[in-house]
Amino acid sequence: MRKNLTTLLTTLVLLGSLSAHAQVYSGYRQFDGEHKHEVSGFLSGGVNVVTGFFLGEAGTYTYHFTPRWSISAGQQIQFFKRVYSVDVMGTYRIPIGKKSNVYIDGRILFNRYQAWSVNEPIINLSALLETNYIDLRWGWSYVSYLKTDVKENYRAWTDARYSEPLVMTFGFGINIRPRSNPWNLGLFIRNYDQFYYENWNINWGLRFHATLNPQMKIYSEFNVRPAGSLSQLATRYETSLKVGLRYVW
Amino acid sequence: MFGNMKKTFILSLIIAAAAVISACDKISPAGILMAGTAVEDRVKMSYKFYKDNMDNYTVLITDNKDYSFIVGADSHLTTDPGRLDEMMAIGLEHNDLFYAHLGDLADTKAEYYYTLDSLLKKAKERYVPKYYNKINDFEYVLKDDTEELVKFTYDEIPFPFYPVVGNHDITHNGWALWSNIFHSSFYEIDVIVVDPNDDDYFKVDHLIFLDSASGTLGKTQIDLINQGVLDGKYSDGTSIYRYTFVFSHTNIFRPQFFEFASTFTREETFFLLDQFEKWNVTGVFLGHVHTWDERNFNGVHYITMDSMCEKNNPEPGDYLVRVNVGDDNLSWDPVRLNYTPKKKK
Repeated sequence: MRKNLTTLLTTLVLLGSLSAHAQVYSGYRQFDGEHKHEVSGFLSGGVNVVTGFFLGEAGTYTYHFTPRWSISAGQQIQFFKRVYSVDVMGTYRIPIGKKSNVYIDGRILFNRYQAWSVNEPIINLSALLETNYIDLRWGWSYVSYLKTDVKENYRAWTDARYSEPLVMTFGFGINIRPRSNPWNLGLFIRNYDQFYYENWNINWGLRFHATLNPQMKIYSEFNVRPAGSLSQLATRYETSLKVGLRYVW
Repeated sequence: MFGNMKKTFILSLIIAAAAVISACDKISPAGILMAGTAVEDRVKMSYKFYKDNMDNYTVLITDNKDYSFIVGADSHLTTDPGRLDEMMAIGLEHNDLFYAHLGDLADTKAEYYYTLDSLLKKAKERYVPKYYNKINDFEYVLKDDTEELVKFTYDEIPFPFYPVVGNHDITHNGWALWSNIFHSSFYEIDVIVVDPNDDDYFKVDHLIFLDSASGTLGKTQIDLINQGVLDGKYSDGTSIYRYTFVFSHTNIFRPQFFEFASTFTREETFFLLDQFEKWNVTGVFLGHVHTWDERNFNGVHYITMDSMCEKNNPEPGDYLVRVNVGDDNLSWDPVRLNYTPKKKK
């Protein structure tokens, strides 16, 4: 067991891909009440209008203190975008009936946009309702950013800092099979992704997951991220694909 | 049986809602999610026009060392040109060097662009006699050109109204209408300031008009910016410009949390903030969100303007900004619009 785990972790690190938050988006949050540890990660790649081709990895470890409480910590490295992220998230789960849960997530995320010398700390508080076929997220984000290459001749360092008004976080997903099915395919629409929170720029796409064995799943997301959604002129901005693995024990 | 009736009822509701939404002039449901590439086409066309017409398109000359210009946003012109007409009159009366408009000039429909075109023609009819003398049936000279050195036909006289394109300007094929009047959505103007009493006095200010109507500049525009087409550097790398002003429809800073307008995405926001610093921008003027916001960010001054449209803001108010430019003077003043729509009896 330990050898298998070591092999898996080594493989994931070599792939540079780890993340548990993907379960949020693919309906993977259903907790079996038994495992304590989760580790998962993905590789992602795509094309962005500003940065061009990009390729990166992300990953998270989650520990379940009890069947209700868990905490996770993650990171991402986007090599060509030159975006680096770390986050920590605490979750409380409220079962609703036999098949549904509400997850209340509190998260602190820090992004470094190296190409433009920007630090972006984010606090997100949101709730995810996950039923047998659909999931719905709603909450709020506090997003701020700071330019770290402050103009030499500029008088006040603090003037290179900006805190956005509260940003609403919303997402909706629907699957073609019940959540307990060993594989699933679904659609999602939301204004956030694993490591960013937008205001009214809405991304959407197709998601998939399949159980490889009782401890391991493979998952994938095809994500279309247009700009200008609420200007009703959604315009090609970013298209990406994620492929990841999740292992629990 | 009742299950089938319920499904049929829900399906009917969905179809009815889709039909209502699709029939509305103001809403393009597909436009919220479908990723089009119209901005690339607009910028390619605009840049070609800009290059082909560089000589007579990109320079504004003034011998007034302290000049001013006036900025308005989101006029959403329909059948009532009152507010935009008042902006033209104010600028003419105050001798503002040029007008800048931050997009959403007219509200999508073809007949509104006819109104806009007529308004601009009338404004030019008032503008030309103020600054030009007619010397024969076809030609004009500037009033201070007493030796009649440079002659213009009426069509050759530029009317200094510089808009950026907004999202409402281009929905429902509005680009065909907008470009028919203004031709280019991505361009720059050099304001050359000379002093008739000082031959050595020569300053250049820079106006940059970005096409952000789609919520992104798009790959073509970003590539052109990265290639430095707007940089204006001497061979030794120093800037030729005294002041640089940028005009964009889409806003960067959200004034309030409940604004429902899309701003730039994360990466593009940071790209632009960084680019404005590279251009050593003095002021950035933004529209789109119909709410006032003013702030400094890392040495650049940002003004996000409220809508001057009489439908959005029916009461008189300070909906315009006048920027005063001089060697030792750089300031802005609010400019009041008094026009209110006539109430229908």
